[in-house]
Formats: sequence, C-alpha cells, structure tokens
Amino acid sequence: MEIIKLDHITKQYDDGFVALRDINLSIESGKFYSLLGPSGSGKTTILRIIAGFAEPSTGKVYFNGQDITGLDASKRHFNTVFQNYALFPHLNVYENVAFGLKLKRTPEATVREKVKDALHTVRLDGFANREISELSGGQQQRVAIARAIINEPKVLLLDECLSALDKRLRKEMQFELRAIQKKLGITFIFVTHDQEEALAMSDEIFVLNDGQIQQSGSPVAIYDEPVNDFVARFIGDSNILPGEMIKDFEVKFAGKNFECADAGITPGEKVEVVLRPEDLDITAPEKGKVTVQVLSQLFLGDHFEIKATGAGTEWLIHSTNGVKIGQEIGLFFDPEDIHVMRLGETEAEFDARLESYEGDGEGDDE
Amino acid sequence: MKQKHLSFLIPYLLWIILFVIAPLVLILGYSLTDAAGHFTLHNFVLFFSGGTFIKMMLNSFWYALLITFFCLLISYPAAMVLTKLKNQQFWLMLVILPTWINLLLKAYAFIGIFARNGMVNQFLHLFGIGPVPILFTDFAFIFVATYIEIPFMIMPVYNALKEIDPALIRASSDLGASFWQTFRYVIWPLSWPGVESGIQAIFIPSLSLFMLTRLIGGNRVITLGTAVEEYFLTTMNWNMGATIGVILIFLMTIVMILTSGKRHKKEIDL
Amino acid sequence: MRKNSLLGRIYFGLVLVILYLPIFYLVYFSFSSGKSMDHFQHFTWAHYQTLFADHRLLAIFLETLMLALLSSLIATVIGTLGAIAINEMRKPAKQRLYLSLNNILIVSPDVIIGASFLILFTALGFTLGFASVLLSHIAFSVPIVVLMVLPKLKEMDNSLIDAARDLGASGWQVFSKVLIPALTPGIMSGMFMALTYSLDDFAVTFFVTGNGFTTLSVEIYSRARQGIDLEINALSTIIFLFVMLLVGIYYFISKRQGKKAKGVGGLIK
Repeated sequence: MEIIKLDHITKQYDDGFVALRDINLSIESGKFYSLLGPSGSGKTTILRIIAGFAEPSTGKVYFNGQDITGLDASKRHFNTVFQNYALFPHLNVYENVAFGLKLKRTPEATVREKVKDALHTVRLDGFANREISELSGGQQQRVAIARAIINEPKVLLLDECLSALDKRLRKEMQFELRAIQKKLGITFIFVTHDQEEALAMSDEIFVLNDGQIQQSGSPVAIYDEPVNDFVARFIGDSNILPGEMIKDFEVKFAGKNFECADAGITPGEKVEVVLRPEDLDITAPEKGKVTVQVLSQLFLGDHFEIKATGAGTEWLIHSTNGVKIGQEIGLFFDPEDIHVMRLGETEAEFDARLESYEGDGEGDDE
Repeated sequence: MKQKHLSFLIPYLLWIILFVIAPLVLILGYSLTDAAGHFTLHNFVLFFSGGTFIKMMLNSFWYALLITFFCLLISYPAAMVLTKLKNQQFWLMLVILPTWINLLLKAYAFIGIFARNGMVNQFLHLFGIGPVPILFTDFAFIFVATYIEIPFMIMPVYNALKEIDPALIRASSDLGASFWQTFRYVIWPLSWPGVESGIQAIFIPSLSLFMLTRLIGGNRVITLGTAVEEYFLTTMNWNMGATIGVILIFLMTIVMILTSGKRHKKEIDL
Repeated sequence: MRKNSLLGRIYFGLVLVILYLPIFYLVYFSFSSGKSMDHFQHFTWAHYQTLFADHRLLAIFLETLMLALLSSLIATVIGTLGAIAINEMRKPAKQRLYLSLNNILIVSPDVIIGASFLILFTALGFTLGFASVLLSHIAFSVPIVVLMVLPKLKEMDNSLIDAARDLGASGWQVFSKVLIPALTPGIMSGMFMALTYSLDDFAVTFFVTGNGFTTLSVEIYSRARQGIDLEINALSTIIFLFVMLLVGIYYFISKRQGKKAKGVGGLIK
C-alpha cells in the first residue's frame, strides 16, 4: 500500500543551487527504504521535504493520498532520527524519550509504560535516569531511535544516523535497525552515502546523483543490473569496459566476442560492459576467457584485491586466494556475470527493454 | 623553573593580598568597631533594629529585581530576533555601541528627557496630559537603570541562543511541539546559562547605581548602594557605611549561590 | 516563524531606537542656543567653542585617557603573569581557590570596591589623588585580564612548549618567543577590557579621588548635579563620534580577519 508519494518535486535554494530536479517516488508502508547517494546528491533534501523541514519549490507531497506539502513538521505522522541524534542535552534519557508524549499531555502512567517499552525495544533497559552526556555514541543513537518511535509514527526517517559510529558498532546497529523495523512493522526511510549500509538493510534503494533518482529497486537488482556507469561505480567495485553489441546475447569487448545475457540492443551499438571484481575467477592462463598480468595485490582480511593488466585495459579482481605479482593468470566469467549498459539509457527505458526479452521478469517481485 | 613561577606569582599574589583580602578584612573590621576603634556590634544592631535600614534593604533588592526583570523582558525577544537577522555582527555592534558612551552622559540625557518641559512631557502634552513629574521619581530611576543595562542582557542571551543546535529545534518540532512548546521546553532551558549570566551582570551592579539615584532618583537615599556612599562621603560615618557594605556583600553571596546552584533531577523508576 | 519575522524586526528596531534616543537627544541639543534641553532655539556652534576654550575640561579628558592607558598596561602585565602562575598550579583545589579570590572584585558592587579601597588607602596613610585612583584602576582591572588570558593558556597546545624546549630554548626564550605570542589575542582583549573598565568607571574613582584629581566621569557627575550645561552635550557629541570611529575601525578589522572567534562580542565590557 502506498503511504508516501512525491510528485514532480523540485528544490532550488535562494542562492540558485538546484538540489532536486523532478523527483517522483512512491513509498509503501512497512518497508525499509534507503536514499543512497554521494553528498550533495539531494538525498537529505528529500528527507527534509518529507519530514516538513523544507518546502519543495514545485511539486507535491502526499501522505495516504492527502496533500501535505505545506503542513508543519509538528503535524505530520513522521518522526526523524537526526544525523547527530539532536538529543536534548538538558534532559536525561527518560525525559528525552518522553518528550513527544508529554507534549500531548499523556497521563504520567502511560508515559512511563511507553518509555519503558521504547527503551526495551532499543535494548536500553535501565538507562532511564542517565544523562545524555554520560552515554556512548551507540547508546545515544538508541535513545534517538526510542525518542522517535514513541509517538508511533507511520514512517520513521533516519538521516545518516550511523555515520558517526565506528565500523563495528555500525555493523551491529545495521542488524538492530532492521530488527526494530521488522518488529514495529512501520516504514523506514534511511538516508546514507554508504552503499554497504544501504545494500545490507533495505528492501528498496533509491540511488541519487545530482538531484535526480538514477535507479531504484531491490539491492540485488541494483547491484547486478546497474542502469548506468554512475550506479555501477557507486555501488560496489566494478570493471567498466567499452564494448560493442554484436547481436542479441553477444557482446564484444577487450578485443573478443563473448556470450552474454542481454538483448534488445541494436547490433553495432556502442555499449559499456560491467564486470564485478568478485565475478572474475582466477584460472590457469590457457583456461581463462582473457589473460592478464598481475600488477599489485592487497590482502584485505577476507579477500585479496588484485590489480592486473591485459586485453588493453586494467582489471580489478577479488579473490580468496593470493597470486604472485607479475604472474600471468587467466580470468573466467559466466555469461550472466556480464552486464551490458546502453549509454544514456534511463531507468524506465532499461526496465522496458528488460521486460521485452525476459517476459514475466524476475526484477519486480512485489 | 620553580623560581620563575614564583616570580610570576609574586606581583599577582601581592595584588590579591593588598586589593582583595586586605580591603575585605578592613571593611569587616570597620563594621565591627565604633568611631573610637573599639569592638562593637552596635552597627549591626542599629541596622536590624530600625525599620529604615530593613526597608531600604528590601527596597534595594526589589528595585534590582525589577530592573533585572524588565531587562530580561525587553532583551530576550530582541536577542531572539537578532539570531535570525542577516549581518548579525553589525546589528550586535549597534547594540553594544551605546555601552561605550559614559554612563553618566546617558543619565544626564535623561535629566533633559524627563524634565518638566522635556521630551516625554512634550509628547504627553499632545494628548492633553501633564506635565507629569517624572524626574526624581523611583520610576525614573528604574527606567534609566533598565535602559543602561539592556545591552548587558542582550549579549549573553544572544550568545546562548546562538549556541543552540538548530537540529534540536527541528527535533522538537518533529516530535510534535508547537512554537510555544519548543520555546518552553527546549529554547528557554537551553538559553538559561545566558540568562543567568545576564542576571549576574545586572542584578549586582544595579545595587550600586548611587549616581543614578542622585541624578535621576531625586537625591534620596533609596538603595543600599546610595546609603554606603552617603555614610562614607557625606556623613563620614565609615563604621556604619562598612556595616551596610558587609551586609551587601553577604546578601550578594547568597544571590550568587542561589543563581548558580545546580538543580537536582528526580529519579524515575521504571 | 516567517510570519513573525516582520514583527520581530520592528521590535528589534524599536529597541535600537530606544538605545540611541538619549544619545541623539544630547547631540541634538548640543547645537541649540539657550541653556536647556527643552526646546531647540537656533543652531549654534557656541557650546563647542566654549568646550574647546575650557582648558580644565580638556586637561581632565587627557588625564582620563592617560590614566586608562597606564592602568590597563600595568594591569595587563600583572594579570598575564598571574594567569600563567595559576595555570601552572598542579592542584585543582589551589587553582579554584585562586580563581575565587580573583573573581571577588569582578562580582563585587562598585560601591563596595570604592568604599573598601578608601578604607585601605586611609589605613596605609596614602594621600588620595592620582596615585590612589591609578592603583584602584589597576586593582579592578587585574582580574578581568586573568579571565581573558586563562582560556588561551588552557587551549594552548602544551607540545608547543615541549617543542621549544626540545629545540634548545631557554626558559626566558620559551616565555618570550613561544608563550607570549601564543597568548597575544587573550592579552590584547584583556588589555582592551581593562581600558574600557577604566574609561567607564565612575563609582570607584568617586570614592578614592580626593580633591586633587578628577576624571571625566567624576567631572560630568559634578556638573550634571548642578543642572543642565550644554557644554556637556557638546562633549557627548565628540565622545560619541570618537567611539563610533573606534568601534567602526574595530568592526572592519574584525570583519577583514574573517569573522573569527566571537567578532564584536569582544567589545562588551
């Protein structure tokens, strides 16, 4: 069920900076969404427009079909977890969490009950009387979540709220956020510039750049089928090679013709080919589809990151086994590992083309 | 090294002994002696037995309270508007600039403004009122004192307001607070340190504005500050003057402790 | 909020008008012939001519400036050394004790400072005059210098001094080449404050001045007690212009330095 809809939203600031160009998106209830993009891509602006802290220059915001474009933030059924938590420093944990309820003149007994529940949800039982300054970053994060969910919002907005935490805590909070979302069953809209975070938690991701939605879809779809080289480069590491479509299911790059899984492109059209580094398997030189020479190697704990050169380009390879520098190796990949991108193809055109040759596509599983 | 630190400390230590400790001891000594230098509690007895001194003391505090209150009432909204303006540094400078004009010149201006034929009475005359005697009234004293102290309240309140993270205001509104609720539960408590230093910057000095009571308040001895000046420089009864001074110091200390005391929070059992 | 902003601006404008009204009132009547601040008679420079012919008042003006410069300079030296000494103290309790003693004169009402200094000078057998006023001004300026320098000491990178030692600097070289330059902003604002304290003081001076020496504040007070004297208005105009010039220069310098720290916040006493 659609709960929030942004209809042709644009945002231009007083100084002339265009933050958003024609944003259309639809949010369904009970799902975990991520707005993913580099800084300045407009993701936070979208969140602020949904929350009611900023007004769009043109376009409308709908909540359950009702136009809420001009509605004050205090009257919307959304709550926000802020980037640096924005906890009230003059109030303790209990008072921070109870803030929203006290405003509504909720009876004291109910407030206590609900604060207790909320603190339990974020696993902060027994922290009620702590001062904010006594808490660690992760605990402050939890208080901020508890404070935001106590009003039982229909949608929880999270603004880069894990970015201040260290790497381990961030991982832990990813699991926990997802668990809280499942437990409450409400919609989460999560803003982040960290692709790993977005891939790990989301049901659906909106990739943003330069004030526009580049691609939206499930993490797997976005990772496997990036619509353009911005998305391909931004999400995960990738080898992007220039190529040419020979015919349906056959593409030429790195000086050779390869079987692939893409179709619906005019033969002879210039295209870009994406190969994920972890899809490249290292074999003996004679068994590989291409032969390359190893330039450098970094051990990253769970895998090796290898740079190699060959077939007129440089290659990035992820491998669980190390190689020797200067060694000749073969690279093997399956036809499904090759992802062909048309230059300048929009998301809609991409979806239509996919539809044309895949029939009852696997892309949309809703 | 040790020796160097000592030589740094010596002039400062000398200053503390000579100009902080010695004057305090001396003023206490004077308050506990009579004109001949004999120990006596007579001055304190006199202070607390006669109604005049007690009344004057209450009066001083009441006026200081009024002055501080009116300053806050006028300055707080002004400081809030100031945080929203462009070119804040410029406007702030305009607020501070009058503090650089000698206080006595400003007081002197009010002698003209409040005079029987002065600006205020000319203005009132347009409505057929007056002339009203304003100069040499308690109102005039409070008004001018408030006028003089306003910038000293705007400054600290402005600084405290500027330090509030705008995200907190947004968070409050996000949780459903109206403007007034945000003000009451977030902005006011967070700006309290600024208000507190404003109060300290105004309340205590306004106890010693004897020149204003002389020039504007009609030369009557209506505050403890004026009484100290009266006893030291006019009637030359230093012992009584010192007694009033000691009581003023004592009351001031209480005010300081009261305004800077930390409030305890109640614990909540879940 | 946006709807209220016009109302807010009007209110703020009104506060500014009230702040400046008395000053402009003085300036306005300084050009009026006649003897009162009731009705503007006709334009005249007469009061300015009287003012510039009044050698006594001009001498007082210069003496007041001299006093302010001298007292702030000496207070800055004592205060800076004091701040360094306090900062070097190891025990927090000792630091707190010194700081409380330091702050006594800042929070005391002026009449108490004036009265107790008067007793002190009398007890020491000191003749009241320029020297007693100078000592008093130094005395009440020292603590503010300490309070201005101390934060700079606290925020100073201690490795700076270690680095200087490491490079072979002697104690004196560390002091003059590293410590003092690092503290200069604090020292300057401390001296600036001391200057304004001295220029603005009336109450303390009034107690300890005796008959021989007068500052501008005391002189204005004694003239104002005798009633309206438009020569004072002329003096106000000149002081106002002088202050505007100083503050204007300060404003543009601080603006050119890139709005760092608290900007004009440092202007307030």
